[in-house]
Amino acid sequence: MTQIKKENSYYLDGDDLRHMILEACSYFDLHKESINALNVFPVPDGDTGTNMGLTMRAAARELQQVETKSIGKVADIAARSSLLGARGNSGVILSQMFRGISRGLSGKEKARLPEFGRAFQYGIVYAYNAVSKPVEGTILTVAREIAKGSREALQTSLTFIDLLRVAIDKGRGALEQTPELLPVLKEAGVVDAGGLGLVVFLEGCLQSMLRRADIKNEIYFIEERRPSMGATASTGKGGGTGETLSKEEFNPVFPYCTEVLIKGSDISTRKVRRSLEELGDSLLIAGEGGMVKVHIHTDHPGTVLETCLFFGSLHDLKIDNMVDQYEETRWGISMQETGEKGVTANFEANFSPGEQGSGEQKNPGRIGVVTVSSGKGLAAIFTSLGVDRVVSGGQSMNPSVKEIVEAIVALPAEQVIVLPNNSNIKLSAEQAAELVAKEIMVVDTRSVTQGLAALLALNQLKSLSENHAEMCRRARQVKTGEVTYAVRAAVINGLQVEKGDIIGISNGCLLAGGKEIDATTVALAEAMLTPGDEMLTLFYGDNITGDQAHELQAQLCDKFPRLEVELQYGGQPLYYYFLMVE
Amino acid sequence: MSKIKIVTDTTAFLEEEVLERYGIKVVPLYVNFTEETIKDGSIDNATYFHKLMNSPEVPSTSQPSPGDFAKVFARLVEKGNEVVAILISSGISGTVESARTAAKMTAPAHISIVDSLSTSGGLALLVLAAARAAQEGKSREEITAMLENLKSKLKVFFVPESLKFLKKGGRIGGAQALLGTLLQIKPILYFSGGKIEVFDRVRTMKKALARLVHELPTTGEGLELFLLNAESGENIQRLKDLIRQRLPGLPLKTYEISPVIATHVGPVAGLTFIKHTQNTVPGV
Repeated sequence: MTQIKKENSYYLDGDDLRHMILEACSYFDLHKESINALNVFPVPDGDTGTNMGLTMRAAARELQQVETKSIGKVADIAARSSLLGARGNSGVILSQMFRGISRGLSGKEKARLPEFGRAFQYGIVYAYNAVSKPVEGTILTVAREIAKGSREALQTSLTFIDLLRVAIDKGRGALEQTPELLPVLKEAGVVDAGGLGLVVFLEGCLQSMLRRADIKNEIYFIEERRPSMGATASTGKGGGTGETLSKEEFNPVFPYCTEVLIKGSDISTRKVRRSLEELGDSLLIAGEGGMVKVHIHTDHPGTVLETCLFFGSLHDLKIDNMVDQYEETRWGISMQETGEKGVTANFEANFSPGEQGSGEQKNPGRIGVVTVSSGKGLAAIFTSLGVDRVVSGGQSMNPSVKEIVEAIVALPAEQVIVLPNNSNIKLSAEQAAELVAKEIMVVDTRSVTQGLAALLALNQLKSLSENHAEMCRRARQVKTGEVTYAVRAAVINGLQVEKGDIIGISNGCLLAGGKEIDATTVALAEAMLTPGDEMLTLFYGDNITGDQAHELQAQLCDKFPRLEVELQYGGQPLYYYFLMVE
Repeated sequence: MSKIKIVTDTTAFLEEEVLERYGIKVVPLYVNFTEETIKDGSIDNATYFHKLMNSPEVPSTSQPSPGDFAKVFARLVEKGNEVVAILISSGISGTVESARTAAKMTAPAHISIVDSLSTSGGLALLVLAAARAAQEGKSREEITAMLENLKSKLKVFFVPESLKFLKKGGRIGGAQALLGTLLQIKPILYFSGGKIEVFDRVRTMKKALARLVHELPTTGEGLELFLLNAESGENIQRLKDLIRQRLPGLPLKTYEISPVIATHVGPVAGLTFIKHTQNTVPGV
């Protein structure tokens, strides 16, 4: 009944995928510190490994609870739980990969090698789509090269093990190229941390495969007796038509990415959302009142436009056939879309307490604000300036998507602004924004100080989009500096630092290095200041005493007599000082 | 046809010469120290600030009594005048209420009470516009209609040096939210719906002044503007310079703030303006 078969007739089931992810997760943990160490800056909060590890861990935790043999269900659980548990940009990208894989495997009990390969490539596309401006030399380059390489391998490979070996090999090759593609990596003498994370993950998968192959021997790769049964549960929209799509074609249910700007007066975004949500998925609606931007993946762009026309005039129309887009990338991806509603839609249903008729008091006119920050002092400052929820986290501990989602959901406000305060939390914030059925805008604040500057512009009498625009503008008006210590020796911007040295960083540049905290901070301030600067605010961390901070404040006042120097307790870990220059 | 007389309160802080020229009658508010009660406007600002800053107590302020208004109204109406009383915002003072009570007590058919939803220089702009209209022979109805129109165009922005005085006085509307702020900020406040609300928050005085000027129209055409000042030191000059850069040639009059308002705001710089259109003529 069961026997090892050559070519593409091997099947992987839910158990296989579950064990693969669980084992990859454990394997990953062993290597996460070396991934963490691959920071461009030798700062102590390198956390790519930790973030990816925690994202996998979130999936593993859920997978341990289930017993299903369906590969589609296992993939779905992995996708949902990793999305909510995603931390940091690399974690979000990884979770999107799971999401794409889950789409590819949706409805399947078992998957043949080519099916799994396609699902994996679907995952790569999702990962790419998670990032608004993909940068070469990152995890995305590595992912793409793996997809490309494994596609070729699909033609020749005999087993999953072979496939994974090829994928890892291609991944390593691409990883070595990342410094050539991204100059900051080259200068720092490192490869991309997220890319390495992806390769390590695949190595974990391979290890799991080898072990299971050992244990189960030939039972492992089971030949499906009647391949047509259950394995191709792909259906049209709604899941009930029973229509089977050809596996060799890319046939997403909603192939047209449709974007349109509606101009009118007093447009209700809720009504727009309600009238469009049945027409497709990945629905995003932004703006309000006179201008509303719509983004949707649909199978009937015409219907979408007609519906939008009801609310006002249409502008900036853009309709792309995503099949073409994928093919343009020349990865030769052929994907299979199932009728199951997207993860986003399902989560939206889960996270819209208002829709479920709970008696919660709402204040629809008020804009809620969620921010991410670590340190008691900073949390208190944010709260005093009008933030409703401070999600604990920051450079050294990126919060999960779930934590941000929960903070947004907990607010009584229907309109929410999220200040991630870290470029590595932006994607998580954007994912969280997609998951909650509220009007949410993420201001791309890359530091706590940018977050504070943006927050000052919050005006409850203005609209969400006006606030968003003003907050973006104001965030860019401050200069941010950070003082911490080097975790390894490095030469950056011509400055040589030893392990343990104090370093001062501003706007992605290493500007000061030395043995003393005060001297380095003063040097950093000096490098950051330009004529016309009026004020320097110093936030001291939990590793600095109030007396030390006051002493430094006095030094800075002496050194820069025209500058107003304000001292605040931030309480942030790892960073002696944050500097905010205005 | 009877003559229109304009009545206002001391928070408009109009100069004696202007009051005489237009025959404007003024009813005072009061500042109450334990030992003495000062009539608003009876003391110059430098002296008053010296007293305010050095006093261990926080003085309270009080609105005119209905009797204060009734006396003025009765005298004017007896002489055959009609009265338009334009007063400090009901959002921060009970003055309008006192005046309404007084009007009912005297000659309600001949008196219009206008809630300026503003005070200080903003109130002064409305009073002056009304006084000019009265001189031109406009009727009470025409003047009150014009004032409603002007009120919607009137802007008052100000930056207190600190929130200390607003906090003590308690009349701060939406600015309440600023009080727990841990970070040092310069709030830009304004009158909105007759109450003091937060317009914006910036970190430094220089930015705050720039933000004020940013709110000005791009041309000086039809623009009537007062700078508002109370002990703001060099800031008022900086504000003047910024306005000159943006609107060269615009006459800039600095308008002091009355002791009653100063009690609640403390040292402050600001500006108030109306951008006139055809039917609301700019004045002197």
